[in-house]
Amino acid sequence: MPLTSHHLRNLLKDSQLDKEIDELTELMVKRINQLCFEDCQIDRIACTLQPKCRQRWLLKLRMLNKLTLDDMPKFCYSVHKNIIFRDYHNKTVVYKPTDSYLYTIDFLDVFFHGDYRKLNQYYSKKQFRDCIKIFKDRINNRDEHFQYLLTDKENFMIFKFEEKIHVMFLNENYVLSNANRDNITSVELLKGICELFARLYFPEFKLQLGFDNRIEIKSIIPGDILLKVSKEPPETKDDKIDDYFWNIFSSDLDALSQHCKEINLYINKQNDLIIKIHLDVNSSDFDRKNLLRYRDLRLIFNIIFRFYNDFYIIWA
Amino acid sequence: MGMNDKKKGLIKMSEDKEQDPELIKIKDFIRDERFDDVVQIIALYLGDATDENYLDRLENLMETLLIQHGGRTVLRFLIEQLVIDLPSLLESLSKRDSVLRYSFLLLLKSFCENECDLFMPFIEDLINSEDPNIREAALQLTIFMAGGDKGIDDELLIKSISNKLTDEKEFIVEKAIQTLKVIGKSNTSLVSRVLSNIVKENAENEELKQAADLVLKAIVSVNQIEEIVEEELTESEIIEKEEDEISDKEIQLKKKKIELKKKKLELEEKLMNEKEKSLKFKEEIIEREVEISPEREDLPKKLKKQIKKDENEIFDKEIELKKKYIEIKKKKLEIELKEKEFEEISIQEREKTLKIKEKLLEKESELSHVEIELQQKKIEEKEKKLREKELEHAEVIFKELEEDKRKEKNE
Repeated sequence: MPLTSHHLRNLLKDSQLDKEIDELTELMVKRINQLCFEDCQIDRIACTLQPKCRQRWLLKLRMLNKLTLDDMPKFCYSVHKNIIFRDYHNKTVVYKPTDSYLYTIDFLDVFFHGDYRKLNQYYSKKQFRDCIKIFKDRINNRDEHFQYLLTDKENFMIFKFEEKIHVMFLNENYVLSNANRDNITSVELLKGICELFARLYFPEFKLQLGFDNRIEIKSIIPGDILLKVSKEPPETKDDKIDDYFWNIFSSDLDALSQHCKEINLYINKQNDLIIKIHLDVNSSDFDRKNLLRYRDLRLIFNIIFRFYNDFYIIWA
Repeated sequence: MGMNDKKKGLIKMSEDKEQDPELIKIKDFIRDERFDDVVQIIALYLGDATDENYLDRLENLMETLLIQHGGRTVLRFLIEQLVIDLPSLLESLSKRDSVLRYSFLLLLKSFCENECDLFMPFIEDLINSEDPNIREAALQLTIFMAGGDKGIDDELLIKSISNKLTDEKEFIVEKAIQTLKVIGKSNTSLVSRVLSNIVKENAENEELKQAADLVLKAIVSVNQIEEIVEEELTESEIIEKEEDEISDKEIQLKKKKIELKKKKLELEEKLMNEKEKSLKFKEEIIEREVEISPEREDLPKKLKKQIKKDENEIFDKEIELKKKYIEIKKKKLEIELKEKEFEEISIQEREKTLKIKEKLLEKESELSHVEIELQQKKIEEKEKKLREKELEHAEVIFKELEEDKRKEKNE
């Protein structure tokens, strides 16, 4: 039986084989460098249209380990930036650039081209107010449509362009563009994203950071809505409230329970249904793999938005 | 995001917000397979563009063609009907991003494979373009063409590609290697001959040698090596061949000279004829003036008009003649220039033969040196052998003498 990746995985799990693992990783580094700088990048057409790593994830590997542009396969990186640019402008792309990382200056170049040098200077000097001035000017005077939020401890800046979320890691000098399947790595960032979405989609629902370092979102379904729900299962889907509470609500709760740390449901004194959702970067204590991803958060927001838009705002 | 789009390697991300109505029309027409109409609309669409938005329009158009089923056909029509001039299109796309550029090249693949005649006239110029992006694109198109039915057997083109093995841009060198490998698969001996000649001409260029080695290793199999070795000539044979080639070229040059002289004579004849004609006209004018002038005032109006007309016609003809005379002069000058060029070429060729002869002489002198050295060595060896024999002989005599002495003492 030939050597397979499974064998190597087993080796890497074995913490006692330090020297062997060192040797193996050295081999891997050599191979990765050869792949990026020689095999792939040397043929620019192939590198552009059929890169040798899936969606250029080896660039991400380099960036997340804080390698500078000098240590990057430069042509590959330029194509990567280009693809994000084309995607932003709704042009044809070779692949959908989700969870793509860019250096801050390149992100600013793609999304705020006219001001990117200025913005980069302000960011490097942590002059966030000046950055915000530029953003406000672009939104108010230049007919640009995006939302932004600087997190409490000023470690992240979150941007929302249409449905796409971009997270600027202010201390690392890189930006996660089109955040989707990546994990949310800090509570500060999680709170920031929740605040940004709450501001836009459910401003009257209460959002707070609890003592246990969890984000709490309190959704309300008014009592008079609940009174309208029939006591028997509906035969048709004509009634929106009946259809939701009899057919969909349980699956929504199930989805929420998969991604939330905790869900509390209770009826308050005004007979309103309160749904309290507790969010954490680790959605489950028992399973370390179950980290909260940006796409999970989007699903949670969709459900909360439904509570807000379909039942709270209209009937309150 | 349809599966078909994925197959093409391109994904349309989201619906365009602000679609250009012209592009929508183009899309609809392509969908309805009204290709002739589409070509006309595109011609107008590009024709109406200003200098500022031409590139944007071109890019939008390419984007549309890239994702439309039938886009390839439209592109083919556009190129065939000269709505799009490929060299200038490549030049324009060179200013745009690589994704668009390379996607567009892919769009031309089947076109290159099946109808390479359309690309051949300008491909060499593009390969030698100053813009590296154009050079790269041209090499890629050549790869596509080489993969087609006809293949590539143009020695000059292969030489141009081989020259790119020393390009300043690494990616061009890589593309040139790829191109030569693809061409070499069907034309091994031609590619290997061109490469070995270029390597010989640039014997000190190690990078070129390495690149050529890479190509040769990829295209030459063990069986083919024997064939090529058989084909390969000895140095003296090569020189002979080159001399033959030079003499052939000289003959061709002479032929061309003769042709040029013929043309010159023809032109001179024409010139003479034209001069004669002009003289005749002048004579006619003078005659008419003589005939008409005395009674001109008394002539009826119609006749006066006719005379004026004739005068004007004669004047026009005179101008035309002058123009023709100037053209003939120009042609003469061009011929002279060409003659000079040919002379220069013949001088260069002669210089080449002289150099080859010099090389031959050098080699001959080297050979004679080696021969002399060999003879000297032989003489030295012979002298050595003689000395050794003499020594052996002397030793024998010496021993005999000693034995004689012993015998005498004993007695």
